[in-house]
Amino acid sequence: MSLEVDQLTHSYGTELAVDSVSFGLEEGELVALIGPSGCGKTTIVQAIAGHVQPTAGRISLRGRDVTGEPPEERHVGIVFQQPTLYPHMCVSENVAYGLTARGLDRQQRTQRVNQYLELVDLCDQRDTYPSELSGGQQRRVEVARALAPQPDVLLLDEPLSALDRQLRERLREEIARIQDETGVTTLFVTHDQEEAMALADRLLVMNDGHISGSGTPRTLYRSPRTQFVASFLGRSNTFSATVVARKPLILRVGEREFTRSDEVVTVPEGTSVTCHVRPADVSIRPPARTVADETVLSLPGEVVSVADIGCRYDVTVQTTTGHEFVVETAERSPREGDKRTIELPRDRITVFESGGGGRGGSTALPETSF
Amino acid sequence: MNLVNPSQNQRSKRLPELLVPALLGALILVYFAIPFAAFLARTGTTNVIAGLSTPESQIAIRNSLLTAPVSTAIATVFGVPLAYVLARRSFVGKRFVEALVILPLIVPPVVGGAMLLTAVGRFTPIGAAAAAVGISLTDSLIGVILAQTFVAAPFVIITARAGFGAVEERLEQASRSLGYGPLSTFWNVSLPLARGSIVAGIILTFARAIGEFGATMMVAYNPRTMPTRIWVDFIAGGIDSIAPLALALLGITLAVLAIVQRFGRVPTVIDQ
Repeated sequence: MSLEVDQLTHSYGTELAVDSVSFGLEEGELVALIGPSGCGKTTIVQAIAGHVQPTAGRISLRGRDVTGEPPEERHVGIVFQQPTLYPHMCVSENVAYGLTARGLDRQQRTQRVNQYLELVDLCDQRDTYPSELSGGQQRRVEVARALAPQPDVLLLDEPLSALDRQLRERLREEIARIQDETGVTTLFVTHDQEEAMALADRLLVMNDGHISGSGTPRTLYRSPRTQFVASFLGRSNTFSATVVARKPLILRVGEREFTRSDEVVTVPEGTSVTCHVRPADVSIRPPARTVADETVLSLPGEVVSVADIGCRYDVTVQTTTGHEFVVETAERSPREGDKRTIELPRDRITVFESGGGGRGGSTALPETSF
Repeated sequence: MNLVNPSQNQRSKRLPELLVPALLGALILVYFAIPFAAFLARTGTTNVIAGLSTPESQIAIRNSLLTAPVSTAIATVFGVPLAYVLARRSFVGKRFVEALVILPLIVPPVVGGAMLLTAVGRFTPIGAAAAAVGISLTDSLIGVILAQTFVAAPFVIITARAGFGAVEERLEQASRSLGYGPLSTFWNVSLPLARGSIVAGIILTFARAIGEFGATMMVAYNPRTMPTRIWVDFIAGGIDSIAPLALALLGITLAVLAIVQRFGRVPTVIDQ
């Protein structure tokens, strides 16, 4: 394993920022560490790089415990959110900076600088100073500088967050290509779920100092293990239901009962649970066209608002059960006040035991990535 | 609304905004300039070369040129690392340390000199110990250096601290992750990036040290430096007798400012 984080805990004064976090990165893997601002992502990155001495826990790089080692002995490449190119050095000097420390001679340095400037397609800018580069070019030089010493692990701490959307998307593709070409084990930290899902082989979803979920983007999206993952990765409708029977699991919403045979709960019958379904999975029909279908849960209701997003409509429906659902539809939108029935595919409903936020059981879905 | 010429319209709106501060600023500038002009007008006719070639003046110039650079060097070598620590770390008692750095600035120099005397005077433990090995800490060039360093060192510490504070800490972290230890990172990254502020601080410290009078008079009235010589000459012969040394002191300070700015590539002392 390239990188192993074991029971990592860190407090700033009395404030617990990271609470007993463990995960590992396999050789060549690109893993995204994702979570809202202030959830502890940057502290983890800083601890891996050695810029923060963790309160407890262990960090290993290629099987070597580096927890007590200073940053310069770790062989970790890092790109921060803020630009950190040295303004008093030109592009090639910036890229060569880490090579001098590693003891490469002049010829090896020149060769390595050329190789990595070529990788980020900036050979023509070798004598340029950072202040003369565009935001995107600066980012690429930073990636080249971090990669040139050929680190064991590359840490990218929100490297695209300060850029505008178009540039962000372009650089995202560039990072994917560079990672693919170099095969460097990469931990990509972001709060942007789209960015994480598009780039990563695997996601680690963080919330409030904990890892809330881990898996391939599709597994986590389709079958989230916790309510937080369900709501953080993409949009989500939640509604409460009551457990009628446990084996097989039968739930009641208002007057309707439905079976979720591949879900398991530990709470007793009569208890309330929280269900989750993606807006894109819900369909909307005029009441008359609704037909009895065992595979869907149909809930009648009334349209309360419609938002035109351009490529689709977001229709908010209040059901007779008292829940509000957002439905994504590309078809001609109903108007506010129209009576409509919404249909929730039963196999797309995920069940969480209320309060704890965790799931009793899992839906078996093939692990495929985007 | 004038749609034909928006730039003119904009200008007419903008002028009054800066008028008041510009007028107030001009008044203080005039106040700075008048004494300079008056002094130069009065001394323009004095024979500066003749005044500077007296043995007393030569000794004073030599003493000042020997002591001020040494004081500036001491202040820089010990002050810049302190500035770096203050810019980078929070620790218990930091406010006390900061107050201590500012103390020599707010204490009147003559009082600072008296305080130094109570610490290193001939009959204090430190002064007596130094005297026992043949070093006189008062009424000597060392005494002059002690007085100048005490009064002038805060300038380089405060200015360098602001310079280090403006260097993003992530730049240093990037250097550490690229394989450099804390000292090489300081040398390769922090120091070059804070150079402008440090050079400005060195200039201010040198100007303050070479012009130091109050504390020097208390600690080392002899041997004479340019400021103490100027005082002695003034008592004996009035304004006209001090003109040559005063102009020479001004000349040296301006020359150092120009040279350091030239080689340090610092645009101005204040505009950092």
